[in-house]
Amino acid sequence: MKIDCAFVERVLCAFLREELGKAGFRKGILGLSGGLDSAVSAALAARALGPNNVLGLILPYGRAFSGEVKDAQDLAGRLKIRSRVLDISPMVDAYFRLVPTLNRTRKGNKMARERMSILYDFSAREKALIIGTSNKTELLIGYGTLHGDLACAVNPLGDLYKTQVRMMAAHLRLPEKFLRKKPTAGLWLGQTDEGEIGLRYEELDRILYCLVDLRQSRAEVIAQGFDRAKVERILALIKKSQFKRCLPPIAKISVRTIGHDFLYPYDWGR
Amino acid sequence: MIVALAQIAPVLGDVDKNLRLHAGLIEKAQKEKAGVIVFPELGLTGYKLRDLVGETALVPGKSRPFAELLKLSRRIAIVVGFVEESDAGHYYNSAAFLSGGRILHVHRKVFLPTFGMFEEARFFAPGRDFETFDSPLGRTGLMICRDFLHLSAGYLLQAGGAETVIVISAAPGRGSAKGGGKAFATSRMWERMGETLSFFTSSFVVYCNRAGFEDGMAFAGGSFVYSPSGRLLAKAAYAERDFVLVEADRGEVLRARRTWPWTRDDKPEVMLQALQRALLNRHED
Repeated sequence: MKIDCAFVERVLCAFLREELGKAGFRKGILGLSGGLDSAVSAALAARALGPNNVLGLILPYGRAFSGEVKDAQDLAGRLKIRSRVLDISPMVDAYFRLVPTLNRTRKGNKMARERMSILYDFSAREKALIIGTSNKTELLIGYGTLHGDLACAVNPLGDLYKTQVRMMAAHLRLPEKFLRKKPTAGLWLGQTDEGEIGLRYEELDRILYCLVDLRQSRAEVIAQGFDRAKVERILALIKKSQFKRCLPPIAKISVRTIGHDFLYPYDWGR
Repeated sequence: MIVALAQIAPVLGDVDKNLRLHAGLIEKAQKEKAGVIVFPELGLTGYKLRDLVGETALVPGKSRPFAELLKLSRRIAIVVGFVEESDAGHYYNSAAFLSGGRILHVHRKVFLPTFGMFEEARFFAPGRDFETFDSPLGRTGLMICRDFLHLSAGYLLQAGGAETVIVISAAPGRGSAKGGGKAFATSRMWERMGETLSFFTSSFVVYCNRAGFEDGMAFAGGSFVYSPSGRLLAKAAYAERDFVLVEADRGEVLRARRTWPWTRDDKPEVMLQALQRALLNRHED
């Protein structure tokens, strides 16, 4: 699972520059959570586009995550990118006053979608494309909010496992604290990915790597000494979250249908 | 003769823009006194065309971009990749060798990768032959990308007397190994075949890949030329645009063949008989 970080950096920076350029943009925008993934995305964007062409939006819910806000601001200062803090609690609270709930997943998803909504408005305001921060681990197990943090225009990290994103963070000389952080979706205070998924990222990534990259069967993976229950659970998560990795199906009526046999590339004419 | 490798990143689905890109580099190569310039697979159209195949197809010798390229080929030989539309209305992933204002040869890609990220056979008809032809580079054979990875295809060009094998490619990079030489892991695969085929057929192998991104996939670059003695003569940058000039001296073919008489001692008639027998006895797996 080791990667040549310098080469990957070169490819991802070229990817960001060319994809934005082809779409007619010079600027990128992304949400900075104070965590590792958005820090790596921001560092790559700053190198690819120049720090002046990157805007980091820091979108906390109230004051609960003040440590993360400070880390995100420090990062923006360090990368010399522009940043702005906007508290999303007035918008989120206004909604939940009308539709109250104690369900913290629903609240967390609403926050993720509020951030998306602000990012897309700023995308138009700043003429900047949204750079995604979802990594391969999250995308495969479906650990992201549909139309929330999963929404973006380009995603430089989507083919890097979490542990590979950590390697990139070290290569990009991001502060040690980003490497030590317990990964969290930040849906509520004290939430950690590993606590919720019930697996350490090192192990999760190794199992995913065997299943996905090496195309090993579940029996082959288990035979290597991985816990059967964990392997089964990961396979179930991958299957259950397939809808988050696809566009919704369109009911086919005509002889030529979008998604079925109207087949044009994303980069059409670019 | 100087060979120019144009490791470009075409615009996906815009033949006019790509024709201008080609024309600019043809002029540049000519200024550098190159005798031939090689462009990548589907250089006039971009690679991941899907339903754009029909909209970007050209008829060799008839479509307007060909008229322009043929005119330019009076001063420098040009190898160009395009979507070919046949009289029967089929589309092929093709390569044309233009020289002296004429089309010397058109090769239709035989092996269309259709697995994993590749879906060529969904949109293209397969070619059915590997022929050689005389060009300013001596007896010459063309291959397109995946054709090159089949040993049998290289052998057929050898049997056809090729002194120069030109491969045009649109190979996406995959895999990043630590210590991978600042390249995608798959780049090594092409170099392996380049070194092997050039040495064991005593021929020049000219491989022109492309750069740029399409729908998130990065093309691996790393175009190269191997000499008839299996020596690397030039290599373009990995995964970025490049333009490389390399001197290919035809005398090297003869020198290599004096040292190692692979081509003299080859026995195509034995291969043919053995292949026919193998095919007759072949069973389903």
